Amino acid sequence: MDIDQLNEQIARIEAQVGLDLAGVEQVDALRSLETTVLGKKGSLGVLIGGVKDCPPEQRKAFGQTVNQAKTRVKTLFDSRLGKLQSSVSEAETKAETVFDPTLPGKCKEMGSVHPVTSVQWEIERIFERLGFTVEAGPEMESEYNNFEALNIPATHPARDMQDTFWLDNGKVLRTHTSPVQFRAMKKFGAPLRIIAPGRCFRYETIDASHENTFHQVEGLMIDRDISIPNLIAMSRMLLREVMERDVELRVRPGYFPFVEPGIEIDMNCQICGGQGCPTCKQSGWVEILPAGMVHPNVLEAGGVDTEEYTGFAFGLGLTRLAMMKFGIGDIRILNGGDLRAMVSPERLGGPILKDKV
Amino acid sequence: MLISLTWLQDYIEIPPAIDSRELAEKFTVTTAEVEQIERIDISAQGLIAARVISAKELSHSRNLKLVELDVGGGKTVQTVTAAPVIHEGSNVVYAPPGASVASMPKIDRASVADVESCGIILPGEALGIEMAAQEAVFLDETFSSGALLPSDLFDDWIIEVDNKSITHRPDLWGHYGIAREMAAILRVPLKTYPVVPIEDLMTPDLPELPISIGDSSACRRYSGLVVEGVPTKPAPLWMQLRLGHVGMRPISGLVDLTNYIMADLGQPMHAFDASAADQIDVGWAKPDEKFRTLDGMERTLHSDSLMIQCQGKSVAIAGIMGGLESEVSETTVSLLLESANFDPSTIRRTAGKLGMRTDASARFEKSLDPTNTALAIQRFIVLGRDMYPELTCKSRFSDCYPGAVKPTTVSVNPAHVARTIGRNVSLQEANDLLKPLAMDVSAIGDQWSVAVPSFRATNDISIEADVIEELARTIGFGTVQPAMPRVSMRQFEKNGLHELERQSLAYFTTAHSYHEIHGYIWYDANWFRKHDVDPGQCVELKNPAAEGLQYLRRSLMPGLLAATARNRFYFPEICLIETGSVFTRKQSDDNEVRHVGLVRARRGKKAETAVFEELKGAIAGWAWDRFAKQVAYRPAKANKHHPWEHAQRTAELTIDGDSYGTLSVVDASFRRRMDEHLASWAIAWAELDLSKASKLARHNEKLDTIPANPLVELDFSFLVPSASLYEKVVANASGFEHPLLRRLCYVGSYEGDSVGAGQRSITLRALIGEASRTLLDEDAAAFSKEFEKHLVEFGYHIRR
Ligand SMILES: [Zn+2]
Repeated sequence: MDIDQLNEQIARIEAQVGLDLAGVEQVDALRSLETTVLGKKGSLGVLIGGVKDCPPEQRKAFGQTVNQAKTRVKTLFDSRLGKLQSSVSEAETKAETVFDPTLPGKCKEMGSVHPVTSVQWEIERIFERLGFTVEAGPEMESEYNNFEALNIPATHPARDMQDTFWLDNGKVLRTHTSPVQFRAMKKFGAPLRIIAPGRCFRYETIDASHENTFHQVEGLMIDRDISIPNLIAMSRMLLREVMERDVELRVRPGYFPFVEPGIEIDMNCQICGGQGCPTCKQSGWVEILPAGMVHPNVLEAGGVDTEEYTGFAFGLGLTRLAMMKFGIGDIRILNGGDLRAMVSPERLGGPILKDKV
Repeated sequence: MLISLTWLQDYIEIPPAIDSRELAEKFTVTTAEVEQIERIDISAQGLIAARVISAKELSHSRNLKLVELDVGGGKTVQTVTAAPVIHEGSNVVYAPPGASVASMPKIDRASVADVESCGIILPGEALGIEMAAQEAVFLDETFSSGALLPSDLFDDWIIEVDNKSITHRPDLWGHYGIAREMAAILRVPLKTYPVVPIEDLMTPDLPELPISIGDSSACRRYSGLVVEGVPTKPAPLWMQLRLGHVGMRPISGLVDLTNYIMADLGQPMHAFDASAADQIDVGWAKPDEKFRTLDGMERTLHSDSLMIQCQGKSVAIAGIMGGLESEVSETTVSLLLESANFDPSTIRRTAGKLGMRTDASARFEKSLDPTNTALAIQRFIVLGRDMYPELTCKSRFSDCYPGAVKPTTVSVNPAHVARTIGRNVSLQEANDLLKPLAMDVSAIGDQWSVAVPSFRATNDISIEADVIEELARTIGFGTVQPAMPRVSMRQFEKNGLHELERQSLAYFTTAHSYHEIHGYIWYDANWFRKHDVDPGQCVELKNPAAEGLQYLRRSLMPGLLAATARNRFYFPEICLIETGSVFTRKQSDDNEVRHVGLVRARRGKKAETAVFEELKGAIAGWAWDRFAKQVAYRPAKANKHHPWEHAQRTAELTIDGDSYGTLSVVDASFRRRMDEHLASWAIAWAELDLSKASKLARHNEKLDTIPANPLVELDFSFLVPSASLYEKVVANASGFEHPLLRRLCYVGSYEGDSVGAGQRSITLRALIGEASRTLLDEDAAAFSKEFEKHLVEFGYHIRR
């Protein structure tokens, strides 16, 4: 076969394809027609396959011609396919209802962590970014770790402030997360940076604002020159991160046996902005962060050299913080297990359209 | 504690530019929290003293009396009063027509109970004094009938200091100590405490009062004085008003005077009738000794109750309350004044055991300064002479002081001060700050020596950190420039348990829509009793929050199931998760471990297989997600203490052959007993041991490489007897070896109508292939034939 014969054959094939394509109305029919032309055994496919059998001097010219033909034929198929497809989708669209992009999507119910856990994780992430490690400590604690190791001897008036649950195995339910300070000092030594979130227990009558089971997060930082300015800077950082806005602090003396100096950090009331309201007892300040420099007796009990190291500690009421952040008015909800009060309605169902609850 | 600003002004001058709220704020940020500040504004106009000429019951009304008053200038008036006690001859505060106070702006003539009543005898409450309803205020002879009572006498500002914030400051339990702090804060001078010199009370010609202290660790000091010439009469009006404004009810001149000194100096005092107590022994009560206290109550004492005794007879419970028999009365001629210092823990213990917390015991518990016992008596004489012109001493100032405190000095390293406060403090500055607090700082080499006054030495300042606190607070925490810490880098060993707990919660709540709850860590014994189940050996609370809440939980499930019941009306499906501690009576450290509990409940009894499978699937996903390990479930025996474990359908979760928890469905009868509405629910639950799982090493998760030639998927469904466990069936199937077999997987199982009773259909998927070539249909057919032959050998029937 010479090149002219080839061109003639190609012209015939193209003409036939044009005719056949005009009669094709289904995508499937178009696909099978495509195979009879471009497939290995198809009319044009055979020619493409034959190129390799040409004498070497003709191979290049034949190859070019055949490939150009293939491209043209493919274009014919593609354009017909495009027309068929658009008419198909038009028909489908017409058959369906009107497309409403504003309709909500569908999703299975969302799960949820407890409000306290949510705030706890937030605080853990803040401190993990600062190189703190998270320690837990047991809820059933020895009397020594809960009191003596924290500079609260049996005769100390502060034991009056701690209404303790006593156990028949000689232990107590920890009244604060502070025993973790002692445990962490024993475990890691200095320098030390930990936070310790967890459950605490006080013998107390339960009402809307008092619980016998609640969560705290303890912070402890021990290093060579830890100072009161450090404590205040870290407290400011913590409260700003948690409240997600700048806060004003009032720092004043506070008394806790395991710190010296002991301080109380108040935050400007987020409800009235400091003007005075029932929440802040008209003072404009809310007690948020009892803290202080770790008492030398506590450092010594933990085996830390007080000549070389100083440290600060703070205890944040996680439960109270969660109530503030989630707008929970009754503390009993938190241990009550009623999902209606603990999970936002958006998690439990579809979009809320009007909310007057 | 309540503090009167008028009272403070006896000792300091408050600059007029500083208003009371500002003062309170300064006190809060420097010393202790002011909880509240309240203005007492009586706006008294025209109140006068009046003498009661006669008082008689108004016959037609029980509560009212008709009183004739001498209002001065020879005039008398009649008025009706509801005051419970009115003595003829006593002086009262009277508001004539036209007079007024804030709570009674219009005082006039009126007809009360058909009787003409002119003006009123003013009740104490109208003057800001907490007294019994309608009780009149009685006056001493300072004001004669008709004398106008100065209106500025009644007004005051009252500061309420949070008691908890001064438990470590015995010196702040009286106005003088507060005044000292205020003087330091305001940088104004503090007046010397007005007392008679002690030498004046040491007159050698008067007898010594015999005092002995049996146990000097329980009583550090006992000072006493016998006086005469203290007749029964009211305290001066100013004293009654001050006491009333700080919450102490005026009672009588003598009681008010000792109470006044307690609120002034912080030192409690007691007065005995010297005819019943003329010598003092401080000793322990006899076991089960009976003793009648001032309030008329009979108390049963303990052998560790500290007592004041006179010749073997108890006359007071030390530091808590006096006895009825030695109480001062109208017939008392001479008084024995007690001013003592007791060991705080002794008083705390006794007060606790007897259930008697008094103003006095609350102060002794703070560890008072023993120096004050003498000061209080010296002060008593100053105030007493004003009140009782006939007051005379009948004994010397007598003192037993076995536990004399030595002057305290604290050594302070100025470098440590700078390190903690964040800046240098010079010796000069330290003295400027601490001198007003009566502390003296001197340099010895490169150290400071700080002399601590006696009133700060008990239970307060004893070490360097205490002095640093004094410096930091007087410099002002508010002036501290915050600075982020400089740290030493170090790596902490990973807390695997905490991380696993956090990741497990995140996994189940996001991947499987569980909701986290928190429960109490104790069981409700009533719940167990209802099911007639013994909760097993639990750690018990000695003081449970309520009856039946004494057992610490050994499982999370009772709490989770109770929460399931609580939510049953509001949701058709309830998925709950809790992580928390469970407790056993072991002595070892593993007597508290962390568990995760899961409940998957759905309305509709038929859902049981579905919820159980979904729960198992979620757990398998958890194990893969956390450890890249596959789980296996084995049949397990139900725990008799755990009624939620189904007798036949309980399984244990194993990973690498070790058990990590239990799971099951809750049987129908237990569901019904728990809550009848749950009878028509399906409930699956699991409880896993996170403490144990946290020790599992995590595998590396290996990924597939894409095969050069595609693998062919072949599914095989076959019937096995229902009684054959999956574990056994897949072990048998997996025994098949074939050169083309690349992977064998479980697809699913089915029991139901189409497979016939007693049978279960299991579907496995084989992936076959060869690296060097594409498989032909013949290869697949040959493989299928051989694998089916293998399955048939175990008696499994191939489904087509
Ligand atoms: Zn407010």
